[in-house]
Formats: sequence, structure tokens, C-alpha cells
Amino acid sequence: MKTNHTYSFIILIAILLLCFILNISLGSVSIPFSEVFESLFGTTQNNTYDIIINKVRLPKAITAIMVGSGLGISGLLMQTLFRNPLAGPFVLGISSGASLGVALVILGSGLFGGLFATALATKWSIVIAASLGSFLVLLAVLAVSNKVRDTMAILIIGLMFGSITAAVVSVLSYFSSAEQLQQYIFWGFGSLSNLSWEELLIFFGIYAIGILLSVASIKGLNSLLLGDNYAKSLGLNLKQSRLIIILATSLIAGTITAFAGPIAFIGLAIPHLTRQVFKTTNHKILLPAVFLVGAIVMLICDTIAQVPNSDYTLPINAITALVGAPVVIWLLVRQRKMMF
Amino acid sequence: MKFYSILLLLLIVSSCKNEPKQETISIIESEKLELKYAEGFSVDYYENYKVLSITKPWPKAEKTYRYVIISKENMAKTTFKTNEFDGIIINPLETIVVTSTTHIPSLELLNVEETLIGFPGTNYVSSEKTRQRIDDEKVRELGKNEGINTEVLLELNPDVVIGFGVDGVNKTFEIIKKADIPVIYNGDWVESSALAKAEWIKLFGVLFNKEKEADSIFNQIENDYLAAKSIAKNAKRVPTVLSGAMHKEVWYLPNGSSSEAQFLKDANLNYLWSDTTGNGSLALSFEVVLEKAQDTELWLSPSYYGSLQQLEEANSLYTNFEAFKNKNIYTFANTTGATGGVLYYELGTARPDLVLKDIIKIAHPELLGDYEPYFFKELK
Repeated sequence: MKTNHTYSFIILIAILLLCFILNISLGSVSIPFSEVFESLFGTTQNNTYDIIINKVRLPKAITAIMVGSGLGISGLLMQTLFRNPLAGPFVLGISSGASLGVALVILGSGLFGGLFATALATKWSIVIAASLGSFLVLLAVLAVSNKVRDTMAILIIGLMFGSITAAVVSVLSYFSSAEQLQQYIFWGFGSLSNLSWEELLIFFGIYAIGILLSVASIKGLNSLLLGDNYAKSLGLNLKQSRLIIILATSLIAGTITAFAGPIAFIGLAIPHLTRQVFKTTNHKILLPAVFLVGAIVMLICDTIAQVPNSDYTLPINAITALVGAPVVIWLLVRQRKMMF
Repeated sequence: MKFYSILLLLLIVSSCKNEPKQETISIIESEKLELKYAEGFSVDYYENYKVLSITKPWPKAEKTYRYVIISKENMAKTTFKTNEFDGIIINPLETIVVTSTTHIPSLELLNVEETLIGFPGTNYVSSEKTRQRIDDEKVRELGKNEGINTEVLLELNPDVVIGFGVDGVNKTFEIIKKADIPVIYNGDWVESSALAKAEWIKLFGVLFNKEKEADSIFNQIENDYLAAKSIAKNAKRVPTVLSGAMHKEVWYLPNGSSSEAQFLKDANLNYLWSDTTGNGSLALSFEVVLEKAQDTELWLSPSYYGSLQQLEEANSLYTNFEAFKNKNIYTFANTTGATGGVLYYELGTARPDLVLKDIIKIAHPELLGDYEPYFFKELK
């Protein structure tokens, strides 16, 4: 059984490498394969190709890997924590908090004028607003989770945060100009590109802390599957485990939303997809597997979104759901049941 | 029995037949307003009144909107089938509400700006004359964007509202029409050439009985435009030009058949996407734009960015263009009125001659002597 998984992991890593190279090679401008490698190793003579590969496609591919793996892991953590197959990284209100922050920056000028209008909605202000927004919601959720014992209650509170945010955003939208609304809507489409190397570095730093925290909570996650009481009887500090899991998710999903916008579907679907492939609920296997599958799916989605050899690109959010959802449906229908 | 059923059938059929509607007024003499470029409206002259037809208020419009423009005296002795027209406008107009800043230059050029009593989003208005009237509270604020404050508008009760729409759906305008305030849809923005857009000043000429003035103003603008265009032909070099900027990963550029591209062509510039056609802008990926335009000499209108620093902060990839490295970027975003409205959006439609001269001056500085660009400024 164990060797089975080893093979699966080797295959997944190979696919990941393949997808990575494919993602970098394909785009609106068709670049010869040899030029792709020459650009990567800095030996190309073609300045345009060099910029496209090293400044556009490479950061985007790395972003795709972090976004896919990060959202997949956050989804896995949330589904296990809440013992709910419908849970995703955004149930805690993380994406709502981020949306509210971004809405305040982009749309707020209509309502508040002055200060907000001059602080033009640059990329950094959006990143900071999104992080602040999700961080504040996280603090609120943590405060609540200290008072409320029931994980279901936390789930519902997260959903309520979402409703409040949606209401505030619609009030802000009402007082905004067409350009501001467009900017906000475009943020909502999600985007993997336009990250500079410095931004990627910050992104990676926070993301890495989140991933390390989730690796640290593997034991807790496995015990949680058996129920709160059983976990307690195993001597697990339930409160602490829960805290670490929530913190990890918030860090990962929060930073992803800040840099790439709210990316739909991946967080919910990747854990299911992985469970179908690996047929296990052991987080020691699931966690790295989800990491790989998430990264692969996101790279594929991004490659499709670039519509190779055409002048156009599609919003990544449309592709993640359009390509991913039928795959999950097909898998579930074929297996006739959900592994959970 | 059979006879009766046939009779009944005949009755039904004949009652369903569409009788051609007849105007109760007699048409004595008809001549048309002379239009050289504009295709979205026409005006027919009859002895006592004029009929304004807006044929293309928005793209894909199916219906022609028809309005009667008539004086008070003639109105007293003429009857209309009002349901055949979309509005009866009594002129000369004493009060008017316009809804786009592009309508304001027409009022000012015709010296009728004092008739303006309401505008949605007065902060966008930059022209000094109208700005002063807004500050003197002679022009009421009608709300933001397209969400016009219906109550204030009904209270103002203007003789006519000049609206615009992207399609025929606008609840506010429907309510205004029900209150017997005629709404005329200005379709200048649908026209495909800059001169055709500018020719819509003649519509305001018709409304205010100032056809002659409107005609001579337009002729002057047209002459200036064509003169500038022929001067541009003397340029020894034809520089390449890039336009627009990215929103997220999509770079929006004017398509080759747009009036923006027409300006570039008339200014004797080589716009790299001049062979494209279609409605709306081109939406291209960064890679495609970089590959084609990396060495472009000149970059016009990089979206709303007001400085090189803002451009670089928004996306460091912009710095890879030669035009950025050589600081050869020009924008109209920094030429604003007292309350921040961008002047180009207000006056650019009415004064294509100025827009063209600006671009010629930037591209071929030697051709226009000491002309100072009006809208476009170097991005610093």
C-alpha cells in the first residue's frame, strides 16, 4: 500500500514538472522551445522573449503553484476542521474580509472622497487592504472561537461575515463611478499575473509560514477526523490544534487573496479530487498530495486561460470552475460516493 | 349560417388591418439640415416646424426617435398626433438639462450655456463658464452617474433633457418622459469619426434656432482639422505609436477603425494596430503588445496614470518599453478642471481640431511652430 503512494507521488511530481514547463512555454506569443530554455538560463539574444519568459511567465507559473497548492491545503484543513465536505478556505470570512478591504480602497473614494481619492488604488494599497481585511476578520473569528466551543457555530459566523461584507460592498458600489466598479470587478476575477519578484518574495514568506503550520497540525487533523471527544481522549489539545489550523488557513488564503484576488473553486475541489485519487483520509499522505494536485490543476487552468497563440487572455476564475467542476462531478459519479 | 361566419371573419380581418397613420398637419415644404459626416440624426424642415430624427442613439438601435420642434405661436395653431412623436419641443428653449460633459461645449460654443439648469455629477464639469454657473448655484446637481435624481429633475421641469444611453433601457428617462419632459438621446459617441462626433453641435443649433451659428462653428472646426491633417502629411518621418495600458492582465488599445486610431492616422503616425477593425477596444495580452510595440517611439494616453512613477508602480513591466525608457509618453489625464474633471473627456469630442493638432505637435514638433498642446502633456 505504501509503495503505491510512492509511485503516485513520483508520477504527480513528474506531471507537475511537465505542467510547469508547458505553462512557461505556452502563451499569446509563440516562442520556440529552445528560446524558452535559453531565456530561462539567461543565454537568449532576444530581449522580448527574455522579458516575456522571465518577467511575465515565470512569476506567473510560480504564483500558480503557490495559489493552487495553498488553496488546496486550506480547503483540506477547513473540511477536516469543520467535518464538512462543503467547507473551503473562504468559509471563515477570509475572502469577505479581503473583499471589504479592497472595496474600501477602490470604491471608498466615492463615499469618503479626499483621503481615499488621493491614495490611488495602486497594487500595494490593494494588497495591504486585502491583508488587513482578512486579518481583522481572522481576529474576530479567533475571538469567537475562544468563546464558542462548537465548530459549526464558527462556520456560520464566517458565513455571516460574508453577508455583512456583501452588504457594505453593495452600498459602496452604489456610490462609485463606472471605472471604480470595473476595477473592483476585475479584482474579483482573480489574477495570477502582474506580480513582481519582490511581491512574490513577500507572498512566498507568508505562504511558507502557513504551509509549515499546516504540516505541524497533521497529527491534530487526523485525530479530528475521529470526532472532538475521541481527539480529546487521545490527549490532543483541541483548542490549540483548532487555533493553529485556523491560523494556517487564514495566513495562506489571506495572502493568496491579497495578491491574486479571490480564486474560486480550487480550495473546495482539490481535496475531493485528491481523496478520489489517493483513497485515503490520512493527512500525512493527503497534505503533500493536495499540494501537488492543487499546483498541477492551477498550472493547467492558467495555461488554458492564456489561450495559447491567441491575442486574448481569460479571467482565471472562469477557467478554474469551468474546467475543474466537471472533472469533480465526473469523478464523483464514477466513484458513486464521496470519500470523506 | 355560412354567410354569417364569412362575414364575421371578414370583419375580424378588416379590423386587424393596419391603417397607415396620417398626420393631421399638412406638409408644405421640406428641406433637410445639411450634414457632412454625422449619420446618427437628421432634421427635416416644414413650414411651421422641424422634425428631428435620432436614427442611431446607441449601437444596435432599432427604433428612430422623432421629435417635433415648434415655436409657441405655431404650436397654438397646429395639432399633432402626439403618439407619433417621441416628444414635442417648444422652442426657443429656455431651460435645458444635459447629462454628459461632452454636451456642455456645444452649449457654450452657441452661447446658450445660461439655459443649463441641471447636470448629474457637476464635479466633472471643467469649463470655466459653466463651472462659474455651478458655483453660483445656477446649475442643480442631479446626482451621480446614471442614477439621476428624478425628483429634482421633475422639480426643475426643463424644456428638454439631453440624455444618452448604451441601450434603450433607462428607467429614469421613462419617468421623465411620462412627466411630459422630452428626452432626446444624444448619439454623438456612436459616430465613427471625430468630425462626425463634432458635427452633433448642429443638433443643439436646431434646438436653439441657431443653425447658422452651429454651421459656421462646425465649418471652422472642420477647416482647422483638415488643414492640420494636410500639414501632418509634410512630415519627413512617420513615428510608430502605442496607446492604452493594462487593466489587470489585459491591455486595452483603440482598434484601427476607431476615431482614436483615425486621429493617429491623420496625424501621420504609424499606429501598430491600424489594420484591426471592430467595435470597442482591442483587449490584448501583455506578451502580444510587448512583442509588437517594445521599440515604439511614442506612447499616447496610458490609461489614467498621471506620472511615470504611477505607471511603474502599477506594473513594472511597463518599464521595458522604449517609449518609457525615453520618457516619450503623453497623457491627457493631467489636464483637469478646477474640480478634477478631465478636460479631454469634456471638450475633446467637440474640438477634434485641437486633439489632432496636439498629436501632430507631439509627433512632429517642427510642423506646428509655437502651438502649445491643449490636452496632452508629457508624462513626468
